[in-house]
Amino acid sequence: MDMNADRTQETMARPANNKGDQPMVVIERLVKQFGRLRAIDDLTMTIKAGETYGLIGPNGSGKTTLIRMLVGLLRPTSGTIRIGGERVPSPQVAASLGYMTQLSALYLDLTAKENLRFFSSIYGLRGKEQERAIQEMLERVDLADRANGVVGTFSGGMRQRLSLACALVHRPRLALLDEPTVGVDPELRRAFWDYFAQLNREGVTIIVSTHQLDEAAHCTRLGLLRSGILLAQDTPRQLLLQSGKDNMEDAFLYFASRKEELS
Amino acid sequence: MNFARIAALASRIIRQLLRDRRTLALIFVVPVVIMTLLYLVLTNTSSVHTLALVRPSGPGSNQINTLLDSLLPGKDTLHVVNINASQVDSTLKNGDADAAVVFPADFAQAVAAGQQPAVQIVLEGSDPTVASAMNDLAGNIVRQLGIALYVAKLKQSQPGQFAPTSSAGSLPLPLTISQPRYIYGGSQYTYNDALAPVFIGIFSFFFVFLLTSIAFLRERSQGTIERVLVSPLTRAELVLGYIGGFTIFALVQSIVVLLFVVFVLRVHYSGNLALVFLVTVLLTIGSVNLGIFLSTFAQNEFQVVQFIPLVLGIQVFLSGVFWPVAQLPGALQPISYILPLTYANNALRGVMLKGNTFADIAGQLAALLLFALLMVLLSTLAMRRRVV
Repeated sequence: MDMNADRTQETMARPANNKGDQPMVVIERLVKQFGRLRAIDDLTMTIKAGETYGLIGPNGSGKTTLIRMLVGLLRPTSGTIRIGGERVPSPQVAASLGYMTQLSALYLDLTAKENLRFFSSIYGLRGKEQERAIQEMLERVDLADRANGVVGTFSGGMRQRLSLACALVHRPRLALLDEPTVGVDPELRRAFWDYFAQLNREGVTIIVSTHQLDEAAHCTRLGLLRSGILLAQDTPRQLLLQSGKDNMEDAFLYFASRKEELS
Repeated sequence: MNFARIAALASRIIRQLLRDRRTLALIFVVPVVIMTLLYLVLTNTSSVHTLALVRPSGPGSNQINTLLDSLLPGKDTLHVVNINASQVDSTLKNGDADAAVVFPADFAQAVAAGQQPAVQIVLEGSDPTVASAMNDLAGNIVRQLGIALYVAKLKQSQPGQFAPTSSAGSLPLPLTISQPRYIYGGSQYTYNDALAPVFIGIFSFFFVFLLTSIAFLRERSQGTIERVLVSPLTRAELVLGYIGGFTIFALVQSIVVLLFVVFVLRVHYSGNLALVFLVTVLLTIGSVNLGIFLSTFAQNEFQVVQFIPLVLGIQVFLSGVFWPVAQLPGALQPISYILPLTYANNALRGVMLKGNTFADIAGQLAALLLFALLMVLLSTLAMRRRVV
């Protein structure tokens, strides 16, 4: 049992830049069917290690469904997902993932520190290493002075920051963040994106979903998603160039209409 | 399986419970208040009781009935109602009398023939204090009647025949008194004694069910369950963590209730504490998992509360808390035997009142274990089905 935990920590401690340009996530011909609704339709994409990949699309486009399949909460109807070369769902993969849900998903009756302690514990962190990770995380999301405050008394922005901290406290190699900036004020939103860039430099791969197209420019690469179909994927700059538009919103509409013409 | 992670989950649950003052009050204060109320209600009985008489009715009964009337205490001490033999059980069950003295119809003839007819005392029995007092009172009346009849017989007989026929020196009464029959309960325990053990079971079952189902509902509605499920924590570890956290709580609760019952209410207690805990542990494991299972069918706290009559109401009425299962209508008895509290009640009463050993309650423990395992299976399946 403990061997498993040790392996987990070893995996996390390994410098991610060893991976070089190895793909972090490989998705092939992925389909997810809910009754008659096809939420993900024959999706194939590759996410590189150390990049921030933005899943862009309106509500109901399949972003959350895709992320839930990546973390293993949903089983694909068909197709495969590999993370770090391993088929998901797998316990080894689970240990190296960090997941932030759309809801802030915190224990409101516990303090910030107790939430971080619980979530880091279930990822196998303990002792001094755990305390260090918690303290570092609290400082990173600027909650060190409220560490012992009960989360129920926190504002929306504070909860969102703590939620991010809980997703990252065990130093995952791949962070999957579902709309992390919803309801976050512009200043904090900027801080989040700066932090994501820093995590990329530390070798952490980030998959982030958003329906706010103005945020897309912060991502390394983008996947434009609509009705479960990948409309296009490339760097933000390339997508603007290809579409000949000067903003992401127009670019999205361009790719959406082009897809319709094709089909 | 990783015990450190299970421990992390269990300690988180305890920490959350400790933070919630109202829930703490619910767990520790409410049982004590209810036990006190129950104690007060059950020991507060009226002082004038009613005795139902089934008088002898055959030839020669008039003289005996006159004698009987002269022996009955005054109306400020005892009410007397006359009934016939077929009305005994219904009169007592309706609460119209606390006890009955039943003379056989041919009592007078049997006495005259020297047959020592048996007089039956029937006790309502739901309040053992009353039952015991009525047993003494009715017994005395019948004994006095016996003495009076003996004396009357001596007066009628020839002076030369005056000699005691009993070798033991006690009066050879011309009648016998049968063992008292109880409508409810029995002579060996009091009502408080009979209720205290089952309330330990009810409290741990009910509060743990309520706490788990709401805690688990919150895990779902706040989305934290997804984070937990995404982590390397397995479903088995999740279930065990929940069982661990809530079982520790239920055990502390049953210690509080037990100490209160034994040392403050001074309820009769003769069993092994470890066995009481064993029953509580098994019951709690079942309850935790029933809570998880049912909470997956609820969308909010109010819907959880709606499960209470289903889970608690049925069990309180059918598991032998107030009425023995054997006295329930035949159609309801099979239901009693699928309820975990039926087995918990039997085991707890057996241990606390009769000093039963592990071997004595092994059957009940096996039933509780089976229930617990079934609930673990259901909650694990429900988690798979509803959450993921």
